[in-house]
Amino acid sequence: MSHAGDRSPAATLTLLDATMVGIGAMIGAGIFVLTGLAVETAGPAAILVFALNGGVTTFTALSYAELASAIPRNGGGYAYVREVFSAPIAFVMGWTRWFTYMIAGALYALGFASNFIEFGHIFGVDLPGNVLFWAATVVVVFVTLNAVSTAASGSAETLITLVKILILVVFVAFGLQFVDVGEFSPFFQRGNPITVLPAMGLTFIAFQGYDLIATVTEEVEDPEKNIPRAILLSVATTVVVYLFVVFVALGTLGAEGLAGAGETAIAEAAEGFMPSFPLLGSGAALIAFGAVFSTISALNAVIIGSSRVAFAMGREAQLPARLGRLHHRFGTPLVAIAASAVVMLVAVAVVPIRLVGNLASLFSLLGFVIVNLSVVRLRRQQPDLRRPFEVPFYPATPVLGIVLNLLLGAFISFQTWALAVGWLVVGAVVYLLLSRRRGEPGVPTREPEPEISEPEVTVSTED
Amino acid sequence: MPESLRVIVAGGGTVGLRTAELLHDRGHDVVLIERDPDQSERVAAEYVASIIEGDAARPAVLRQAQPDRCDAIAALTDSESTNFAICMAAQRMGELHTVMRIDGDPDELYPQYVDGIVSTASLTARVAVNEVVGGGVRSIEEVGGKVEILDVEIAEDAPAAGKTLAEVRLPRGSLIIVDAEGERIGGPETELTPGERFLVAVEGAVTDEVMNLLRG
Repeated sequence: MSHAGDRSPAATLTLLDATMVGIGAMIGAGIFVLTGLAVETAGPAAILVFALNGGVTTFTALSYAELASAIPRNGGGYAYVREVFSAPIAFVMGWTRWFTYMIAGALYALGFASNFIEFGHIFGVDLPGNVLFWAATVVVVFVTLNAVSTAASGSAETLITLVKILILVVFVAFGLQFVDVGEFSPFFQRGNPITVLPAMGLTFIAFQGYDLIATVTEEVEDPEKNIPRAILLSVATTVVVYLFVVFVALGTLGAEGLAGAGETAIAEAAEGFMPSFPLLGSGAALIAFGAVFSTISALNAVIIGSSRVAFAMGREAQLPARLGRLHHRFGTPLVAIAASAVVMLVAVAVVPIRLVGNLASLFSLLGFVIVNLSVVRLRRQQPDLRRPFEVPFYPATPVLGIVLNLLLGAFISFQTWALAVGWLVVGAVVYLLLSRRRGEPGVPTREPEPEISEPEVTVSTED
Repeated sequence: MPESLRVIVAGGGTVGLRTAELLHDRGHDVVLIERDPDQSERVAAEYVASIIEGDAARPAVLRQAQPDRCDAIAALTDSESTNFAICMAAQRMGELHTVMRIDGDPDELYPQYVDGIVSTASLTARVAVNEVVGGGVRSIEEVGGKVEILDVEIAEDAPAAGKTLAEVRLPRGSLIIVDAEGERIGGPETELTPGERFLVAVEGAVTDEVMNLLRG
């Protein structure tokens, strides 16, 4: 919405800025935190895991691109599904997207904390407090920042993301010469190619975040052209970066070393071959700095993402209307941000990191299934809808997207599914309570039509 | 903030596009139907509405905009009969508020079929009068057929200037609603201070008389 006033950011995002929003949200904890866990599960085939995940993501990214070009709404995936499906399905989409962002936030906060403490170790500083303390602190700090200011992202975000990419490029540039191809055999963990699938489920979260571009559509110039481009470019760039990073990490530290290093795997790999840098010291320090930096900016991105989804749902009366209001002074969706923060903190405190990763991936997968379905349904329902960008090879692309996402979901642990179902049940209760309060089950109420019996000839003096 | 509405705008010309923009700016969801591919590309570039490409008067096209889940439809093409047809068809597909654009004199039976009528001609005329006459009187809205709401500034040397409403006898068919700041509803003790503005409802027949009293 465009309103005059000194507070709203009037930033215009170029194609580069929009692409960086997507990359910024994707390159975060995913690569730094989950590489170790992926290697632990799949062995050197972790590189295949990232490649395949990139492929699966691309199918859904194409669907997102088509929807974003045709439907000018803020609110991302939720808004598109709301356009295509009935209220309950849109609710499921919004509810799961909201949760994905929050749980991803928890993951990034935990990733930040372990790398931050590691960062301290490298400089010989023993930071007080444990991982949990730092994770909770960073969530509180960034939630507060987002709650009180709507500072325009734009070029600042672009710069931060470029720094993130640059650090990884430096890592790859130094590491490539030390790669020992011998580390890649045996390629599959225990010689079993099936181990790739659970590892894909685990790391899928590393590819989520490009959809954040669809929540800043209003600020992008030539949105109907640039948003599809930005979505596809950001996914392509991220996949390439990931593949190089994982290749170097595996080739230098080896599968066993990476698996043992857990959340700080990339930093440990860097320790092996990076020369020291002025100011920062060792190469490991640079990577640890990169990890700290990346997890923070990714955390910031998902805080924005989660509050925008909650806000959009509040506006559509699918969550309490209070979530859909802006704060009178700060101009931010304060209640939506606060609600998101609470869930994030609970996830940080009680859910183990591997489960957090799994849960975020599972909900991403489910949400992406619905997005692909939306493309199919919209093509049937509205054949004459103008689609500035069209998914190539329709219907094969979205159908493959659906099948592959479901396949990955099937390999996520039972425990994760149980938690996911739990969250959906909570959602169902919220949904039923809200629709009962509206007295109209399943359909959001609209303002009653004014009774007009006289002709109404209207003069508008707008603008 | 009111809940966002879902509105169909039929016709993506200057009027349709501007309407879509204003609705979008206020946070409503807009589906726009436009027949001409070139024009629909122009509208798409504004990124304010999703666009169905086709003739809105054809039910197969109109249905794609989902009138059954919309709150209102504004038929704004430059053809009056097309607009009427669109409103009729939309009403059969769902319960929604219908608004049509006309260019000439309205058919007197339109009100029985359509909820709102926007007359480009009389709208333009009114704005033109505001511009030409300028100053103290601005037409805000025509409520029914005969009554008009005016924003009037009390002139210094007008007959009623400085008097209270109890002292002034306004003609039957006129009513001082409220002062333009919206502070006070007009009552007997309301003083028509020169320089202050009031919203006045007048029937066309007595407009000149009221103007004479308030503007001199």
